[in-house]
Amino acid sequence: MIGHRLRLGAEGDRTGLARLVIAALAVLTVLVLLLSTATGASDASVVDVALSLVSGEPSSVLSQRDRIIVIDIRLPRALLGLVIGAALAVSGVVMQGLFRNPLADPGLIGISSGAALGAVLMIVLGGALPAVFLGLVGAFALPLAAFTGGLVATLLLYRIATRHGQTSIATMLLAGLAIAALANAVTGVLIYVADDRQLRDVTFWSLGSLAGATWPKVVTAGPIILLSLSVLPFLARGLNAITLGEATAFHMGVKVQKLKNIAVVSVAAAIGAAVAVSGGIAFVGIVVPHVLRMVIGPDHRYLLPASALLGGILLLAADMFARTIVAPAELPIGIVTALAGAPFFLWVLLRHRASTGL
Amino acid sequence: MICAKNLSVRLAGKLIVDALSLTAKAGQVTAIVGPNGSGKTTTMKAISGEIASSGELTINGDDMRKLEPWQLAVRRAVLPQSTTITFPFTVREIVRMGLSTGLNNDAAHAQAIAAAALAAVDLEGFEGRFYQELSGGEQQRVQLARVLTQIWDPVLDGRPCFLMLDEPVSSLDIRHQLTIMQLARNYCLRGGGVIAVMHDLNLTAMFADHMVMMKRGKAIAAGAPADVLTDAAMEEVFGCRMRVSGLPAAGTPFILPQTAVL
Repeated sequence: MIGHRLRLGAEGDRTGLARLVIAALAVLTVLVLLLSTATGASDASVVDVALSLVSGEPSSVLSQRDRIIVIDIRLPRALLGLVIGAALAVSGVVMQGLFRNPLADPGLIGISSGAALGAVLMIVLGGALPAVFLGLVGAFALPLAAFTGGLVATLLLYRIATRHGQTSIATMLLAGLAIAALANAVTGVLIYVADDRQLRDVTFWSLGSLAGATWPKVVTAGPIILLSLSVLPFLARGLNAITLGEATAFHMGVKVQKLKNIAVVSVAAAIGAAVAVSGGIAFVGIVVPHVLRMVIGPDHRYLLPASALLGGILLLAADMFARTIVAPAELPIGIVTALAGAPFFLWVLLRHRASTGL
Repeated sequence: MICAKNLSVRLAGKLIVDALSLTAKAGQVTAIVGPNGSGKTTTMKAISGEIASSGELTINGDDMRKLEPWQLAVRRAVLPQSTTITFPFTVREIVRMGLSTGLNNDAAHAQAIAAAALAAVDLEGFEGRFYQELSGGEQQRVQLARVLTQIWDPVLDGRPCFLMLDEPVSSLDIRHQLTIMQLARNYCLRGGGVIAVMHDLNLTAMFADHMVMMKRGKAIAAGAPADVLTDAAMEEVFGCRMRVSGLPAAGTPFILPQTAVL
């Protein structure tokens, strides 16, 4: 169906390939979603789950108990995995585009730590806030706090690392390290003063996990993430231009400052919401965009949607691995992504040693 | 016409461009020359709108500072001195970017323009190559092709468009220096205008219709190359005692671009 309109022939033109990859990833996303809802202690099969999800009624093969497991436990977890994976990967693409560097990852340059600090502040000290305010923001208090933390960290980083439109890569990585260390230190202090209940909340996602996924979390974090990600495709052409330099992007007609503002706020919101429900999950934001750039090229019009899909797929796969490898216990997903992602990051670093000047 | 009157730029408290006036007409190559650090590139950045400046600045009569980036982008295109890219773009993808912000939305038309622009800078068949793997001179020509596509038609709605080139031939071999300068002249013949920061005075003498000689942020002389390039100006501006149009001692080879058969 897609075959006859595909033009892989035109030299240097990867748009046909990109469209094919995006279509394949979309199909894969559905498959992984089904597989994820069918994976676990209960032995419902993928087909049973699919039938049950489509019909919306308990089928003969899927018992009532299995249905509850699938619909109320596995499905929200899988959906959350998809949107959070998308948020992490797309945020990576955008930060890398803005910084014009393939090593910028929200987890590495302190944005996630900032968001985590915001969330911990809300858990530990949020009780002191006026009840009116808490009543107003309700379940969004935690994502909002994480968003604010992530935004502050991003702005701080950008201010420090960028001078006259040029971003120093060394400054960015080192400043990110310092911001992350500072945020983690303050988080540590807060943990010290936290009571037992707060401590449980804090420890839960400092490890990075999808284990606490529930429908209410899907309903609060999901829309924030999807809304912030939906803005970004409109920035694709501008992000392409910025890869040539901020001055050149301006010459090409891009409102650079406005684009940067929208991009930074969107990333902070997406990362904030993701961190609020799952904790810090590193490396997805580096691995996914890097692999895709090698396959379909760095054109953001295709890189953004492809990264969203592959990010979701990878995170869901990592989650399946995390909850089955040491069953009945489960590994925090952050450990799985770090185990796979850190060596990959080192490999990227070695490959880019010459061009990054590090 | 691009017109700058009493243009001044202050960077970190230091006056880099000092009350410079410059007029670049359509149909003419206007060259800016001067020693290192005389403010040529800063002048170019001010005229392109990249950095803030004081004084009057108009393009075809419109106040440039009041135009939105996209409005500027269809009236003038800018070639920076060099462009490093950290992502693996192909040559075709880079050149097509010039079209993405302009007025060209028809895919087939855009494709034809991109191919023609690459041919114009003598890079036919380079579409599938990775930008990062090209030599400095080839990268410079890819960027020029991108800049060309942005304002491919030298005249838009009856008003001229302007190419602003910061040292467009600095990393090119002699043959491609001539190719690119001819391309600039051609753009002018078709109704557009060109402002170029130049180092090579021979190429300037050969291709510029009008030139401005800068020293310490000021325009010392302006006019046709035959009037500006004098022994006195060479000594005053560059601090070199030399003779314009003089011949070297017998036996020393010298190669002038002016002798090329074009």
